[in-house]
Amino acid sequence: MKHRRFAGGLVLAALLAASAHAQELTKGKLVYQASCAACHTSGLAGAPKLGDIAAWAPRVSAGTGPVYTNAIKGKGAMPPKGGNASLPDADLRAAVDFMLAQVRGEAAPPKPGVSMVPSAQTPVASVATAASAPAAPDPAVQESADPNAFNRLMLAPARRNRPPGEDGIHDPASPATALLQAPLRSFQSLARSNLGNYVDWVAALGKKQIQPRWDVRDPKAQATVMDLNIVREVKGSMHDVVFPHKQHTEWLDCSNCHPAIFTPQKGSNQISMAAIMLGQKCGVCHGKVAFPIQECRLCHARQKSAEARTAEAAGGGKP
Amino acid sequence: MNASWREVAACAALAASVMVLSGGVREARAEYGDVVMNNYSDGAGMRPVVFPHWFHRVRFRCKACHTDLGIKFKAGGNEINMLKIIDGQYCGACHNGSVAWSVENCDLCHSAKPGTPTQLHESTINLLGGPGTSAAVTPAASPMTAKPATGGRK
Repeated sequence: MKHRRFAGGLVLAALLAASAHAQELTKGKLVYQASCAACHTSGLAGAPKLGDIAAWAPRVSAGTGPVYTNAIKGKGAMPPKGGNASLPDADLRAAVDFMLAQVRGEAAPPKPGVSMVPSAQTPVASVATAASAPAAPDPAVQESADPNAFNRLMLAPARRNRPPGEDGIHDPASPATALLQAPLRSFQSLARSNLGNYVDWVAALGKKQIQPRWDVRDPKAQATVMDLNIVREVKGSMHDVVFPHKQHTEWLDCSNCHPAIFTPQKGSNQISMAAIMLGQKCGVCHGKVAFPIQECRLCHARQKSAEARTAEAAGGGKP
Repeated sequence: MNASWREVAACAALAASVMVLSGGVREARAEYGDVVMNNYSDGAGMRPVVFPHWFHRVRFRCKACHTDLGIKFKAGGNEINMLKIIDGQYCGACHNGSVAWSVENCDLCHSAKPGTPTQLHESTINLLGGPGTSAAVTPAASPMTAKPATGGRK
């Protein structure tokens, strides 16, 4: 315990040396934990949850002034100053700044000048990580309260599109992690889907919500789009696969797939779901970057003809 | 013979996927398509690289990098190193200070937790037990993230 306190002191010292903005946010976090967390962590009585970008969006767009006023005077179920009347206004503003920072993707902003040296010593690093992480509830606790928690395939909405510092891959101890763009800030205006990035990239491109460049060097170059559907009849009761060249050529060049992955001749490619799961054929992109293979119906899109279905039913029992 | 082999493989893959997808605890939940590259980084004392596919596909179509720059569809399969990047190849075609920020911003790319294996995050192959599954993502011998592994189910 003593050791942790000592480590905490080291962290505090480091923070003092950092920018005033970071100091304010740290102070804000402490005030938040003492006076605001009871409602704003769980979303009690309609309180916007900490880090819930959608809930905070209207408040963020209205500017910080009204948020300060609401915090001081109270709003809805929230009493003035969150019920802590002795709280100085400046502390309250710091807490508001901290809460707004969580949804603006600038949680605990590091100063580029702050060196990575302290993180080399593990005890300090662990405390520093804890200090710089937002005061969101422990994901494990959050997860167990969620009726969907058992289904690991379905990430609860709160666990989708996490900012880099919380995504489990980026190192929260790195000063640059907080500078990286949070995915949701980019995805907010894009067509949504149910899996993958939770973005329907083809629709986003079709609706011109994004205008990705076709050529690295020439900003005006346009894709050569070929509109040709290839139907693949599949075994079993699954719908036949319709392969649309159109959506693929909007993103890719012919040479990306032909001839290395697919021989450009109908019927000459052996494709199976096993191969796709192992990252071959369609699986070179689908299940990695393009929409995942759980979206069965996006490929298996065309119902078999009545005759084919009858034949399938009649011959289905045979080996 | 060939068909039966394929059926067995498909069944095995499906069984494995059901097991992994229903029972596995995935601690990392980065974006679908994020590529972690750790061919040389750990050995060189740098954090591994995270390449966010989503960020780049908002700005470029697949063809721009995978044809114009010749980047293969294989996580960790391009043997990219800083010499090539500074020479204008691969990432260096844009990350040169004119199109995108330049190579001196080391930590913006080298941003993964130390010890994170090369992987295509959230990919099917990872969910089937690839390097990105929870046991592999929380390496015991990581110098900077010495955090006790939570181990299995919660």
